[in-house]
Amino acid sequence: MNVGKTKGVWVWCVVLSILLAMALLVSMRVGAVNFAWEELWESPIFWQLRFPRIVLSVLVGAALSVCGAAYQSIFRNPLTDPYVLGISSGASLGAAIAILLGWQSHLLGVGTCALLTGILTIVAIYRIASIGNRMHTTTLLLTGVCITFLVSAVISMLMVLNQDKMDSIIFWTMGSFATATWSDVAIVSPVVAAGIMVVVYYGRDLNLLLAGSETAKSLGVEVEKVKRLMLVVTTLMVAFCVSVCGVIGFVGLVVPHCIRLVVGPDNRRVVPLSVLVGGLFLLVCDTLSRTVMVPRELPVGCLTALVGAPLFVYLLYKKKRTY
Amino acid sequence: MIEVKNLSYRYAEKQILSHVSFVVEEGGFYAVMGANGCGKTTLLKMLAGLLTPKEGEVLVDGENVSRYNVRALARKMAFVRQHPQTDFEFSAFETVLMGRNPYQRHLQNESEEDWNIVEQCMRQTNTWHLRYSRPSEISGGELQRVMMARALAQQTPIMLLDEPISNLDISHQFEILDLLRAISREERKTVLIVLHDLNMAMQYCEKLLLLHGGQVLYKGPIGDGLTQQNIATAFGVKASVGECGISLSKL
Repeated sequence: MNVGKTKGVWVWCVVLSILLAMALLVSMRVGAVNFAWEELWESPIFWQLRFPRIVLSVLVGAALSVCGAAYQSIFRNPLTDPYVLGISSGASLGAAIAILLGWQSHLLGVGTCALLTGILTIVAIYRIASIGNRMHTTTLLLTGVCITFLVSAVISMLMVLNQDKMDSIIFWTMGSFATATWSDVAIVSPVVAAGIMVVVYYGRDLNLLLAGSETAKSLGVEVEKVKRLMLVVTTLMVAFCVSVCGVIGFVGLVVPHCIRLVVGPDNRRVVPLSVLVGGLFLLVCDTLSRTVMVPRELPVGCLTALVGAPLFVYLLYKKKRTY
Repeated sequence: MIEVKNLSYRYAEKQILSHVSFVVEEGGFYAVMGANGCGKTTLLKMLAGLLTPKEGEVLVDGENVSRYNVRALARKMAFVRQHPQTDFEFSAFETVLMGRNPYQRHLQNESEEDWNIVEQCMRQTNTWHLRYSRPSEISGGELQRVMMARALAQQTPIMLLDEPISNLDISHQFEILDLLRAISREERKTVLIVLHDLNMAMQYCEKLLLLHGGQVLYKGPIGDGLTQQNIATAFGVKASVGECGISLSKL
C-alpha cells in the first residue's frame, strides 16, 4: 500500500521527467519557424523568443498546479484553483492598474500590484465563504464567480477609459506567453522555486488540514500559522505568474486532480508530482497554442479551459452527492 | 492531571458553560454525561485546547493548555470528534498514520516503528482488515473505529472522546469500551468519554462528570453519581436503579 505508492512515486517522477525532457526538445524545434538542430543554437529567434517562453510556461505550469493542490487542501475542496477562486482575476486587476499607471516597464511594479490585489481577493474569499470552521462549496465557488465578475467589470471600465492601452490589458485577462522574456523568467523563477519548496515542506501539514482544522490542530498542526503562510506563499506565486503571462485558468484544477487519481490524496506525493505534470501540461498547451494555427496564435488559456472546464463540471457533478 | 478553573464559554448570546471547576486525576476512566446541549462537546474542546475559554483556564500537568506548543499538546492529549470529516479519500491506514504526526518532523518519512504502532492500533480496534479502504467504502461505525485507532496511535496519556461509540453496533461498543478500560488501567491513561447510555457508563467507567445547564452537577465515583435525583435533574427522566442496571421512564 504505502510502500508501493512511495516506490510508484519515484517511477512516476522518472517517467514524467523523461516526458518533460522530450516535450522540451520538441517544443524547442517547432513553431512558426521550424528549426533543424544545428540552426537552433545559432538562432536569435530561439534564444530571445522561444526558449524563454518555453522555460516560463514550465515554471508557470508548475506554480499554478502546486498552488491548486495547496488551495484544495486549505479550503478542503477539490474544486478550487487560483482561477476558479478568482485569485488570478484579482491579481490581474492589480496588473491592469499598474499598466495604466505606466509601471509596466518595471515588472516588479506590476508584480507588486498583482500581489496586493491577489491577497485582498483571497482575504475576501476567506472572510465571505467561511461559515464557522467550514467552507461550503457553493459559497466558495459563488464568491469566486462574483469576484471574477467584479474584476472583469472594473477591467472593462479601465479599458474603455484607456483605449490606447487596451491591447496590453487584454493580454493579462486572456493569458499568453507570447511576450515572454528572460527578465520575466529571472523575476518569476526565484519566487516559484521558493514557493514550491515551502509547499513541499508543509506537505504533511496540508494532508492533516484535509481532515479538518480541529483534527489537524489536535494532531499537532499550527493550523492558523500554516494556513496563513500557505495563502501568502501561493498567492505570491499566482500574482507573479499573472504579472508575466496573465490569467491562465484551470491548470491548478486539472493537474492535482489527475495526480490524485493515480497516487492518492497524500500531498507529499501530489505536490512534487504537480511540479512535473503542471510544467509538462502547460508546456504542451503553449506549444499547441503557437503551432496549431500558424501563423496565428491561440490564447493558451483557451486550451487549458477546453480541458479544465469539462473536468470542473464533472467534479461538480460528482460532488453533488455531498450537498 | 487536568485542572479546570472557573471555566465559562458562550456562543453568541447563549451561555454554554458557566464557572465550571473540577480536577481530573491521572489514570481515571471518566464518563462525561448530560442532556443534549449541556456543554459536553464544548467542554471537551476546551480541554483539548481547540476552543479558547471566555473566562477561566484549563491546566494540563500544571500548565495552561493555551501556552502549550501544539505538537507537545498533541503528544499529551488525543481528541476524537463526534463527526469525523472525510472529504478526501485517504485510506484507513493513511488516516491512522496521521496519528503519528506529533512525533515526526517536516519532510521526515514514517519509521518502521510508526508503522508497527499503526498496525497494532488498527488490530486493537479491529480495523486492520480495512486498511486499504477509503472512507466512502466503509460504514459510519467502521470509520469511528478508524478514528479511534488514530487517537490510539497518538500514544497520549490523556484521551478525550466525544461520543466515539454512537455509530457502533452493540458488540463493537463493548469491544471499544473493553479496550479503553484496559488501556486506562494498564497504561494509566486518563480517558474522558462522552456517553449517552447510562448502563454502559455504569458498567465500564469508574467516575462520572455529570453536566447540567452548563455546570457540573456531579463529579465523583459513578456508582454514587447516577442516583434517581441526579438522573431526573440532568435528563428529566425517572430512573429506577437496581441490581440489573438502570431502567428509565418518563417523569
